[in-house]
Amino acid sequence: MIGIQHVKVKNRDAEFEFDLNRNITIVRGDSGTGKTTLYDMIADHTRLKNKSGVNISCAKNCIALVDIDWNNQLKGTSDTIVFIDEGAEYIRTSIFAESIKHSDNYYVIFSRESLHNLPYSVEEIYEIKPSGKKYHKFVKMFKADKNHIYSLNSTASGNFEFDIFLTEDSKSGYQFYKHYFDTTNILCQSSGANSEIFKWLREHRDKKILVVADGAAFGSEIDRVLKLQSSVKENFRLCLPESFEWLILKSGLIKISDIASVLKNPSSHIESREYFSWENFFEAYLVRNTVNTPFQYAKKEINPTYLNENNRKKIVAEISII
Amino acid sequence: MLNIYFGEMPEAIYNTNVYFNNTYKDSWITNQLTKDIIKAVDKSDVIDENTIMSPLFGNMSPKRLSGGVKTLILICFDKKNIFNASTCGDNCSEWILRIAQKRKVVINLHHLMDFGPKPFKAKILNTNKIVKNMAELVFEAGEFV
Repeated sequence: MIGIQHVKVKNRDAEFEFDLNRNITIVRGDSGTGKTTLYDMIADHTRLKNKSGVNISCAKNCIALVDIDWNNQLKGTSDTIVFIDEGAEYIRTSIFAESIKHSDNYYVIFSRESLHNLPYSVEEIYEIKPSGKKYHKFVKMFKADKNHIYSLNSTASGNFEFDIFLTEDSKSGYQFYKHYFDTTNILCQSSGANSEIFKWLREHRDKKILVVADGAAFGSEIDRVLKLQSSVKENFRLCLPESFEWLILKSGLIKISDIASVLKNPSSHIESREYFSWENFFEAYLVRNTVNTPFQYAKKEINPTYLNENNRKKIVAEISII
Repeated sequence: MLNIYFGEMPEAIYNTNVYFNNTYKDSWITNQLTKDIIKAVDKSDVIDENTIMSPLFGNMSPKRLSGGVKTLILICFDKKNIFNASTCGDNCSEWILRIAQKRKVVINLHHLMDFGPKPFKAKILNTNKIVKNMAELVFEAGEFV
């Protein structure tokens, strides 16, 4: 499935209206906001279609996944928006992650759990907010400033001096930043994986640290990392652009005929069956479009062309905190 | 005191919604603490043991209460089981602390529930350490979620 999917679900008591931008959307937030109500309405419609009395307005089929037979139900489901309730224990498993990895469905998961097996974006975590007596909409839980700095309050913006630059990347992204900070007193470090960032920050709480990680797949980490930030008097900043390859594409260094359209509206270009996460797409898109050019890109080793001073500056311009 | 086990806990009841619907007792619903919880979290009033007055749904069965409220009621009254409290939003946390002021309460969490800015006391069962505020809880339990 590609594209932004607009969904409207309505019955006599309640109405929900929202857009789904990517293959995985997470809904959490306070109790009593309507998550179970929405799921139950989709479940009624799954069983009885229009005869349920629930009205669903969407270009795609919408279904609720039933606990006990979820695997078989998924096998027979294609080009569909699948809603999963918070009581579904299987969503934590690697079997579930594997089974949705190459599917062309979009998934809406009601859960407060981190779900480390799923590469979901920090931009696609929502809570439900009422608007009037019956109308409900999705509101983003985590917001960033223009430099992609995320925080639980507004104090973490503006200038920030740091001693350590931490990235999850250990390949080309890390090599790029390490070169970038080579002539400074700033130490460039890699946590090795996004799931290690929390532990790394906890163990270095006496340092001033700027963390840059791929927002496209940091959804499972953002809650605990931002709560840690609140706990340690904000000794670190969390910067989450989509991915390192996205920064290169945003820099204007690479000339591709459809790049403006891809960056403006990624949803319309990224097929969920091919790319589990948008970071996978941006990497493949960059690799594909730089073959046999001076900017030929490979994940395992940074092309020295990206390291010259002018190019470096253009790449980090989007996260101008550096 | 509040005792929390973070992460996978096979003996805990994970789907509290289904468990509540099949086990709750009428007397739980008309208890004053339940009435207060339902009013605070779901903005609804208990009319009698079978009827809740909701601003959204009108008169409804207790089975239509939110997942968070159902879990709170189970924590209150079903003392022999441990429940997955990640079905509770942060707006339920003050009620968990209130219940745990009067007796030992054990819950299972799969996320870092926000217990608010005030000091509280909870034992993290994964490490047997006692934490006294949210910052200590995040440090102690963050790696388990």
